[in-house]
Amino acid sequence: MFPTPLEKTSRRWQISYQVLLPLMLIIWLLPLIAVANFSIKPEADFVNGNYWGIPSSFDAFSNYGKVFFESNMPRYLWNSLFITIPTVIGAVALSCMAGFALGIYKFRSNLLIFFIFIAGNFVPFQILMVPVRDLTVNMNLYDTKTGLVLFHIAFQTGFCTLFMRNFIRALPFPLIEAARVEGISEWRIFLFVVLPLMKPALAALAVLIFTFIWNDYFWAVVLTQGPTAQPVTAGITEFNSQFRAAYHLMSAGSIVAALPPVAMFFLMQKHFIAGLTLGAVK
Amino acid sequence: MHSILKTSLAALVAAGVTASPAAADGHALSGELNIISDMSNPAPRAVMEGMVEDFDALHPELEVNLTIVDREAWKTQIRNALGANPPDVVNWYAANRMRPYVDAGLFADISDLWAEPEFEALSSTKGAMTLDGAQWGVPYTYYQWGVYYRKDIFEEYGLNEPSNWDEEKANCQTLLDNGVKCYTIGTKFLWTAGGWFDYINSRTNGYDFHVALARGEIEWTDDRVRQTFANWRELIDMGAFIDDHQTYSWQEALPFMVNGEAASYLMGNFSVAAFRDGGLTDDQLDFYQFPVINPDVDYAEDAPTDTFHIASGAQNMDAAKEFLRFVTSADVQTEINSGSGLGQLPVNANASIDDDKFLKEGFDMLSGNAGGGIMQFFDRDFDAEMASVGMEGLQEFMVFPDNLDDILGRLEETRQRIYN
Repeated sequence: MFPTPLEKTSRRWQISYQVLLPLMLIIWLLPLIAVANFSIKPEADFVNGNYWGIPSSFDAFSNYGKVFFESNMPRYLWNSLFITIPTVIGAVALSCMAGFALGIYKFRSNLLIFFIFIAGNFVPFQILMVPVRDLTVNMNLYDTKTGLVLFHIAFQTGFCTLFMRNFIRALPFPLIEAARVEGISEWRIFLFVVLPLMKPALAALAVLIFTFIWNDYFWAVVLTQGPTAQPVTAGITEFNSQFRAAYHLMSAGSIVAALPPVAMFFLMQKHFIAGLTLGAVK
Repeated sequence: MHSILKTSLAALVAAGVTASPAAADGHALSGELNIISDMSNPAPRAVMEGMVEDFDALHPELEVNLTIVDREAWKTQIRNALGANPPDVVNWYAANRMRPYVDAGLFADISDLWAEPEFEALSSTKGAMTLDGAQWGVPYTYYQWGVYYRKDIFEEYGLNEPSNWDEEKANCQTLLDNGVKCYTIGTKFLWTAGGWFDYINSRTNGYDFHVALARGEIEWTDDRVRQTFANWRELIDMGAFIDDHQTYSWQEALPFMVNGEAASYLMGNFSVAAFRDGGLTDDQLDFYQFPVINPDVDYAEDAPTDTFHIASGAQNMDAAKEFLRFVTSADVQTEINSGSGLGQLPVNANASIDDDKFLKEGFDMLSGNAGGGIMQFFDRDFDAEMASVGMEGLQEFMVFPDNLDDILGRLEETRQRIYN
């Protein structure tokens, strides 16, 4: 078996493993530790060059207080929620239906449509920047949450459909045949037979898409500006003034912005890992 | 902020806003006035909103609509905004930055406003607002550049503010002998080196030469340009600048001065707030005007100016001009540039300033001792592409001064491609 279980290795290897692991972890987490450290420092530390040392005074309350009460951060957090949640619902709902159709029905262009969905995933999204921006401007959706949500749904549906179609394919087909024999309409088969069986896939996909969309920076910058529509990932730069970057506030803001997906990960860890591996072995 | 502005405006109204011919004629302004502003950072935003509110209150029949656009985003949006369905008034920058919009006929010629006697008070920036012999906008704020230095370190080694190049170098040598670098600088984002070039070039060859170079009328390989670099090189060869400056941003170069490893910083006045945050008191921190190099040329100063312009397609020209008179009046400029507003310098020479020694020195310097002219800073005076290639070259020169011939050849090639 690979990798060899740790218990079966030599004592010396076990010890070096136990020493190396925390060391590697610290190196790996160094950027995050730095951000956490920055977020409790007073501004003076950055002017004095005290980047990595111990904060000269403990300013967590004033920094985080400023983030929550003296900036547009709460607004941006709400925007993020209002962008992420409709996207998750929309993308998952559409892809369930598309996956059902592609997984259950046999029609001539089935494979072709499926390939089109997959092909969409291979388009590097950066090249869509200019046309998508023009499209949203022409549709009067530029700088609105709706515009961002619609684009995210459209773009995420490709991956979600691939995922759902493969999952539905793996369901025992006799279940559906049995329902058909009973004379249940196709619509109700989807709702009452297939959908309940898809719960693990739904949960996994929802968690995955939530983190994707919450962490999206690129489209947030391209399609929105200002506190009316921008999500938190893009809004964080608001702490930069015209001449100076406020490292301490940006760090505190980043930590706050990162909390929801991190919380999501720990609460839904099981589904998250399922989401990454689901359909990987078939 | 609003209330302060209002009281001062009340005074203004009481005194009669005589600058306005429209008002003097008895025609009240009416219709809509659409303004797009790029003052999107929190403090400037509040200033802009307050100013518009007050202007609106002065003209009851006029409906003033303000749209605030992100400052960075505005740099790419302005052309679109001025093209189709243009607003009446927009924010932009002075000098060569106006060039694309003036050439495209998108800014309105407002030379008639500048001919009014009230605009005499803005004469320090008239040159910067002039292209092709006409004026295309009005300034509302600027800030000075100069040498910010550690007074306590200077006193420790018995140094005085230098007034010429020899004194500057002598000071520097004393500092170096005592293990203190003369200047901190962070050239990672290039522009800081542009400040050094602006000053050494304008002090060596004068404002007119500098501006001609910026307009692409002089070859980079010209001997006078070489003289500028030779002067600069004297400092570099002394080891006057901190080591590895190409790896720091301007903020990351601050600690060297705050911790006393370097004695001075050629910077804009916005650095003062940072120095104070770092714990330097006004007893430790002081300012001097960049010293004379060539006694035959007058002082020219970097003072990046932010401006208002009227779109050539403006629907309400009268109201737009009245708004420009409003923002350039001494009282309004005093208010918007105060510490609770922008914290910068008013351009109007009759405006007053906050009780701050750096603002005072800067105001006196720009209004009284910048006879050569006001430069807008390297990346605003030069063509955008020339500036970006140019600043890369300046940074390279500061690190590898021996590459000068190569660098100048490259800059000259770029100049010929862009300006011909």
